[in-house]
Amino acid sequence: MALLEINALSVRFGGVAAVTDLSLAISAGEIHGIIGPNGAGKTSLINAITGMVVPHSGSIRFSNKEIAGVAPHTISSFGLGRTFQHVELFADRSVFDNVLTGFFRHQSYGLFAAAIRFGKAAKSERRTQDLTRALLDAFDLAPLADTRAGLLPFGVQKRVDIARALAAEPKLLLLDEPVSGMSEAEAETAVATMRKLARDHGITLVVVEHNMRVLMNLAERVTVLNQGRLLASGTPAEMQADAAVIEAYLGDAV
Amino acid sequence: MRTHIIILSTLALLAALPLVATSYYLYLVELAMINAIVAIGLNLLSGNCGQISLCNASFMGIGAYCTALCTTRLGLPVLIALPAGAMTSALLGAALGYPARRLSGLYLALTTLGFLELVGVVIEEFPQITGGIRGLKVPRPEMFGYSFQSNDSLYFFVLVLTMGAITVGYNIQRSRYGRAFDAVRQSPFAAQALGIPVARIKVIAFSLNAAFAGFAGGLLASVVGFIDPPEFGILTSIQHITFIVVGGLGSIAGSIAGAVLLTALPEMLRGVQEYSELIYGLILLGTLLFLPQGLVGMAAKFEGLRSAKPPAKEPAYGAP
Amino acid sequence: MTSRIILQLALSGLSIGSIYALVGLALVLPFKASGIVNFAQGEIVTFGAYLALILTSLGLPYLAVVPLVLIGAAAFGTVIERLLIRPIVHQPEFTLVIVTFAIGFIIKSAIRLHWQDNTFSIEAPFVGPPLVLGELRLNPAYLVYIATTVLVVVALLVFFGYSKFGKAMRATAIDPIAAKLMGVRIGSVFSAAWALSTMLGASVGLLLAPVIGINPEIGHLILKGLVAAVIGGFTSLGGALAGGLLLGLLETYAGAFFGATFKNLVPFGVLILLLLLRPQGLAGASSVRRV
Repeated sequence: MALLEINALSVRFGGVAAVTDLSLAISAGEIHGIIGPNGAGKTSLINAITGMVVPHSGSIRFSNKEIAGVAPHTISSFGLGRTFQHVELFADRSVFDNVLTGFFRHQSYGLFAAAIRFGKAAKSERRTQDLTRALLDAFDLAPLADTRAGLLPFGVQKRVDIARALAAEPKLLLLDEPVSGMSEAEAETAVATMRKLARDHGITLVVVEHNMRVLMNLAERVTVLNQGRLLASGTPAEMQADAAVIEAYLGDAV
Repeated sequence: MRTHIIILSTLALLAALPLVATSYYLYLVELAMINAIVAIGLNLLSGNCGQISLCNASFMGIGAYCTALCTTRLGLPVLIALPAGAMTSALLGAALGYPARRLSGLYLALTTLGFLELVGVVIEEFPQITGGIRGLKVPRPEMFGYSFQSNDSLYFFVLVLTMGAITVGYNIQRSRYGRAFDAVRQSPFAAQALGIPVARIKVIAFSLNAAFAGFAGGLLASVVGFIDPPEFGILTSIQHITFIVVGGLGSIAGSIAGAVLLTALPEMLRGVQEYSELIYGLILLGTLLFLPQGLVGMAAKFEGLRSAKPPAKEPAYGAP
Repeated sequence: MTSRIILQLALSGLSIGSIYALVGLALVLPFKASGIVNFAQGEIVTFGAYLALILTSLGLPYLAVVPLVLIGAAAFGTVIERLLIRPIVHQPEFTLVIVTFAIGFIIKSAIRLHWQDNTFSIEAPFVGPPLVLGELRLNPAYLVYIATTVLVVVALLVFFGYSKFGKAMRATAIDPIAAKLMGVRIGSVFSAAWALSTMLGASVGLLLAPVIGINPEIGHLILKGLVAAVIGGFTSLGGALAGGLLLGLLETYAGAFFGATFKNLVPFGVLILLLLLRPQGLAGASSVRRV
């Protein structure tokens, strides 16, 4: 049973069809790449999956629940997380606070408990802060814990973004162009981290990229989009050799 | 540690104040404390959650009228009337926040402005309840038969309640709700991706803000002994915004500092009171143009200069 | 309820609606150009009225005062834009809204400082006994309001449609970066939009002063202008015009049929309803943003 199942999905903006009749299945524990040239519909697809945009037609099932058109925060609460191409960190706050915020939906105390602090809220906060410290350690971010997130170099910000997304304990993590803007060395570390996430924590990864080389080393299966439609699907090696894929990418980094 | 010393010594000073101060100065400090409560509430909504509100004065008024009516018409003790006023305000805050949850910036500002005017019209048009433009008299608060007739006892009443409100505000700000407010302000998309219900959080923020303002309004009514409708117009709303802007958006200490300073200001300018409105406007404008981080930001920069090396990290937003 | 009364009310409604429309236009202009709503617009109206007061007390006749006030207002608007608005254009929306409020505040306080809350009056050629047309009694001031608004709208249409600078302004409103790349001096466009909007605001002050008197509170009608602009979706000049006229008519009829209390509630009721149900106005385009 696929963890994420997309059936005949169509996303439209006004008269423009961003995604047309897309079907895709992602199994639990898989590392799946989604690739396509600019304008292929990758962003619209992500937005539809995460609930930012209501699809025109078709279905998206996550953990056997229909999520097409469901509110974004509800989809997140089902265990679907995402990171952002342009990071979207809480720039004014420290790295620690950013990751701490990620634990929001796992804390359950209410407003009155928060106002009093004593007891339930204090205990929950202590526990969450411990979890945050552990997460920061795992991502080598401990020395930067008190630094303002907006001041960090871009590659580090992306690392914080992933750590924060993990705090929400997702079953499936959608990574939107996770290595764009990174240096070679940073990208390699990022790829290793992602592999570790999948292997050690059993998180299903859906990596959206336009750089095939990255996916070559990371993804088990790759789906190629072109102009909003599914072009081809298979292992990275198969995709690199596929004639139609090469044609769509003529001139792009393959 | 240093913060604890500051807080304790301030508390000690405040507690000892009635020994040295005249009733007029006690009154002034009471006003400052009430404004601090207002500022903390508004800071949660606008500073932390980033939602603009031009109708804060209305919530203060709603709390004031509600508390006054509970004590005068229903004969309820003040410890029930005050929370009742705060709760009524909170409900109306949610009533405003819910339909407005998808609005931001300009449209939100306009909606709150409309609400402000609407409340003003209601106050004037129902004098049987509100006393209309002539206002409403409010007796001294009463608790378990004891009436806070003496100025000193009233002062301690306000002091204790203010400390409670500050504590609650501080606790909420560093709770998961405070973090959610901040997330909604800085990146609603990331907030959603983390499972934070953005719309609901905004409504909560509005409701909390209204609760603080309503509570402060009830206290104000008890302290002044009279409710004056012009008190709850756009001028006052702007003053409240000035408190948090000058103090430093997002910071509780800043809100308190801003409120205290700007309550004392008209007093310090006693000789030139007609200028106080103008000066308010100039201070607000000046702070926005030249000191966008407010007093708190200025203090942080000063710290950095003092220690002779630039701070490795700038102060985190919303630092207490 | 005779047709005469209905017509009379319509005229009254359209004339006050014209005033609202002018204020609405003054609000939409800088918003279209630079995305900023000038919450000081009400005080600009007040400023225009008091400037007229100063000039008439120097002995100048009304018709001479008009161009002087317009020029003075344009200069004032340019100065505000250059000194106070330009530096903060990139700040968050919260700051922008509050800054314009603060500016309005300062203007009003300064006026009150000097003139206190007294009401002054000035003379104008269009204040006089009602003109009689058949069964209708037409207040000449009403006619002047309507005529002025029509003239202003026509002038704006010509300006934006045919003049080079007007087209430059339209381009900047659509895409400032593209406009800049095409050689448009967007700084000048911003200043011009503000100057134009302050002129409009001051002209409202000029129109109202002889009829309702001059005091610091006349700026309160910015609310009506805001409602007019919102009805038009805040991006459409034609919408602001229609919105103003509509509001004027609604208010007048509501007041006549249901009394003063109802009349006072109309603008806020309309505003809140529109903002909550249809923030894009009756004319604007809908943009769905899921939050």
